[in-house]
Amino acid sequence: MAESSAAYPPIMVRGLRHSYEAHPALRGVDLQVRQGTVLGLIGRNGAGKSTLIRALLGLLMPEAGSAWVLGEPALQLTDRVKERLAYVPQQPEAFPWLTAEQMLRFVGQFFPRWDASFAKDTLSRWSIPSTRPLVKLSPGERQRVELIRALASRPEVLVLDEPAAALDPVARRDLLREVALRAGEDGCTVIFSSHIVSDLERVASQVALMHEGQLRLHCELDAAKERYARLWLPAQFTAVAPAAALSRRAQADGSLTLVVERDAGGRWPEVVQMAGARLDALGLEDLFVEIAA
Amino acid sequence: MDASLLMIQPSAPEPIYRQILEQLRRLIAAGQLAEGERLPSVREVAVAHAVNPMTVSRAYGLAEAEGLLERLRGKGMVVAAQSARARSQAERLALLEPPLQALTRQVKELELPAELVLRRLGKLLGE
Repeated sequence: MAESSAAYPPIMVRGLRHSYEAHPALRGVDLQVRQGTVLGLIGRNGAGKSTLIRALLGLLMPEAGSAWVLGEPALQLTDRVKERLAYVPQQPEAFPWLTAEQMLRFVGQFFPRWDASFAKDTLSRWSIPSTRPLVKLSPGERQRVELIRALASRPEVLVLDEPAAALDPVARRDLLREVALRAGEDGCTVIFSSHIVSDLERVASQVALMHEGQLRLHCELDAAKERYARLWLPAQFTAVAPAAALSRRAQADGSLTLVVERDAGGRWPEVVQMAGARLDALGLEDLFVEIAA
Repeated sequence: MDASLLMIQPSAPEPIYRQILEQLRRLIAAGQLAEGERLPSVREVAVAHAVNPMTVSRAYGLAEAEGLLERLRGKGMVVAAQSARARSQAERLALLEPPLQALTRQVKELELPAELVLRRLGKLLGE
């Protein structure tokens, strides 16, 4: 709270719970995102990522808990906050009868910091057909138009739900570059959900892993790679396996695979020293699979 | 130095800031980056690789703290004067420690005799 520009975290979530027809989607989620963070939100299909995103933006009334965006309760955002916020859903549906150019010109009027030249340049860079109405575009093209809308509004908070699937590798790199620079240079706060873990690894400063409606891990991305590792213990050592592990899987041959963590002094649990034990550094995707499989 | 000369592998277990720092250490120890040579700005590296500028800053900051780089007003980061002096052999050897340890582990997993591996390595090194 020391920074005068941000007396509150741009995104704050407390005790969120929600379910769909008795199927729990969020089972008590707390999250705070500091200004300038790029938070990569990963998790399997159905882990609750989209529900969390919709609840934290006030697009869904949770059964319990609350969310704040730029200091306002998410369910009662004023226009003052809405114009500083941009969200790209997985399946955008707004203004189907307009062409991309018409739509961007129209919505641009409502954003005080609208960047018309960015919108124009990116439309041609990302090969968006200029004469067809949005309803006639492919889902991928439609989502690209929404990404342009979101970025051109120069938001303070940018929320992207699975944006990368719609983009070819060149456009995807463009998007990542924009996200990285907006966050790193302008202090934009970004939440970015994706299955494509390597995209997140380029730009994310923090990673949050959702599993079965809960956040199982939320830390700096670099710390996630340095602090955790996979430990394999042959069957004869499984009795001395550390009790505290982020995940634990018994293998068919009686051996055990664990995700272990360094202690406050940076040391691994003692058992890693035993002959036959094996410790492997993990990339984010492997860590994801170990925890969520 | 051009930003595209850095190799960045986002999916590697090694964090990106550490990949950048290790490359700077090696390039400077080997004299491939000479004293006073200008480094690409944080922004240039971030743009070239679509990575977070804060990650690049962190690597540069650590390299500065190690005395590898220095910040010159108006010029940005340059290779620091004393680091350009040829490093001792021991220091350069220390930089090889991580790959040597990885190699050692693989040799043990493959249950290969040390002398066979050393002979092959000698050949690769042109002895």
